[in-house]
Amino acid sequence: MDFSFKLELVSDPELLCVVRGAVQQLAAIVGFTEEDCRAITLAVDEVLTNVIRHSYGNRHDQPIEILCRRLPLDSGIEFLVVDRGRSADPDKLKGRNLDDVRPGGLGMHLIAQIMDTVHYEPLPDRNQFRLIKYRKSPHPVGAESSPESSGRGG
Amino acid sequence: MVVHLQVSTRNVGNATVIDVIGDIDLYNSPEMRKALMAVLKEQNASRAVINLTRVRYIDSSGVASLVEGLKVARERNARYILFGLSKAAREVLELSRLIKVFEVYENEEQALGAT
Repeated sequence: MDFSFKLELVSDPELLCVVRGAVQQLAAIVGFTEEDCRAITLAVDEVLTNVIRHSYGNRHDQPIEILCRRLPLDSGIEFLVVDRGRSADPDKLKGRNLDDVRPGGLGMHLIAQIMDTVHYEPLPDRNQFRLIKYRKSPHPVGAESSPESSGRGG
Repeated sequence: MVVHLQVSTRNVGNATVIDVIGDIDLYNSPEMRKALMAVLKEQNASRAVINLTRVRYIDSSGVASLVEGLKVARERNARYILFGLSKAAREVLELSRLIKVFEVYENEEQALGAT
């Protein structure tokens, strides 16, 4: 049976561990391997970290919604992360050259490496990050997906 | 169970071992960063050995703190070693292609004995 699951929280980093627990369990229910469950959890955590740091400028009392959906036939899992903060600069969604060893800027790279679809959509009243992971990735191992962005950037 | 981050240091021979326990994420990575900087900059450690045996999760902010420590260590000609990476920690370092820039050992004995 397909399911939907919704979490509403404030942008407090102390709650990230709670979200990780839920996401890891949801991915396991869909049937992902332990390694995939850890990776999916990391990707969602990285999106939330971006929202808290960049969209909300480290304010810890702002609303975040996370909607999770099991795709038909257990083919995968979809997350929609919604915030009502500033839209991000699209250039910062592309990840950076990892040959330059320095702190920071790794989050988007990790998200794109892990998930099969990464789509950022800034809307007039909110920003949406849509992530999809399929159980059997249609992409060859090592292939990178790039975040798609639309509108005024994210 | 929520495991809050605990960071402590101890001296073993000429090395300063930094024991990190818990999940490292946006909430608590500043705490680990502060401990790494204290060991490298205030204690002037010549050999910083970071014990990640009991770190079951690390995100990009935690990795960034480790990278920052590595850069400071290099500036000061200090040795900077990681050991005891969990599957999750190793996967994150591999995904970020940083596993190769760190000196990594399986356990404390190997890390302390590294020449």
